[in-house]
Amino acid sequence: MNNRRKIIVVLFLLVVGGYFAYNYMYKDHRDISTEEPSLEIAGTYLLERFKTGNGEDLLNRTITVTGKVTQVEGEAVTIDFSVYCSMASETAVTATNKEVRIKGRCIGYDDLFELVKLDQCTIVK
Amino acid sequence: MKLKIKILCFLLCLATVSIAQQKYSTKSGEITFEASVPSFEEVKAQHNNVSAVLKGDTGEFAALALIKGFRFKVALMEEHFNENYIESTKFPKATFKGVIKNLVLSDLSEDNTELIFEGTLNLHGVDKKIAIPAAVSMKGDSIIVALKFKLKPEDFDIKIPSIVSSKIAEEVDVAANFTLSQ
Repeated sequence: MNNRRKIIVVLFLLVVGGYFAYNYMYKDHRDISTEEPSLEIAGTYLLERFKTGNGEDLLNRTITVTGKVTQVEGEAVTIDFSVYCSMASETAVTATNKEVRIKGRCIGYDDLFELVKLDQCTIVK
Repeated sequence: MKLKIKILCFLLCLATVSIAQQKYSTKSGEITFEASVPSFEEVKAQHNNVSAVLKGDTGEFAALALIKGFRFKVALMEEHFNENYIESTKFPKATFKGVIKNLVLSDLSEDNTELIFEGTLNLHGVDKKIAIPAAVSMKGDSIIVALKFKLKPEDFDIKIPSIVSSKIAEEVDVAANFTLSQ
């Protein structure tokens, strides 16, 4: 009887432990589109921050960028010649010259094109 | 006299246009790397927002990948890659700078021309000189550059803890594809 109890307890612990371990190892990716942005900033200011070396704390964070669409390339839009936003889906892409608010994850400053890059972007209403 | 100035201006404009046309670029190049070991979890990541510039007249080529843009299938792997191995907050980008040797635009066709890319790869804050084969082709107005090579994390001072080293290949296969347009 005692032995059976032990086995049940061990099995129970294994199942619970396994469940948590599995959840930890295969946790979901961040969903940028539902995350609360930690900052709302105009595209030109965002670029300025990175150019003056004050952008590092924004890396990997979800932010909202505002401004006018100056270029559309495939699945990406550029805001005010400053921020390159790679959209989460093609349908989200809008026309040039439109004022937009775009939420995405900041991945860094591209000094080849002098642009700040965001990925997994969505348009915020 | 006025006409001469006008002609001069016109020629100057033409000249700048033809120089400008020699520059090809993309902001959505792709880099994939894989360090999988058979029978373990796939270690593979893809980046779809790599910037690259190619000067058609000289063959000068530069590419830049923001490390945080590499996406893994497993979220935890992506986290470990960024935080523990490549330290993407400290070293946010990887760059390529160099020359595609003997590049002659007029010789390019839709079929691959095998050329050599020679330059410096900067990763994890470490510079390394590399010379790798580059397959270059031209489709319409775009130049397509495909690079394939192997990297060793230890060459770039990237330490992989012994506890996971059996699950990560010693040599990482890297493939980069750029469709550059004017």
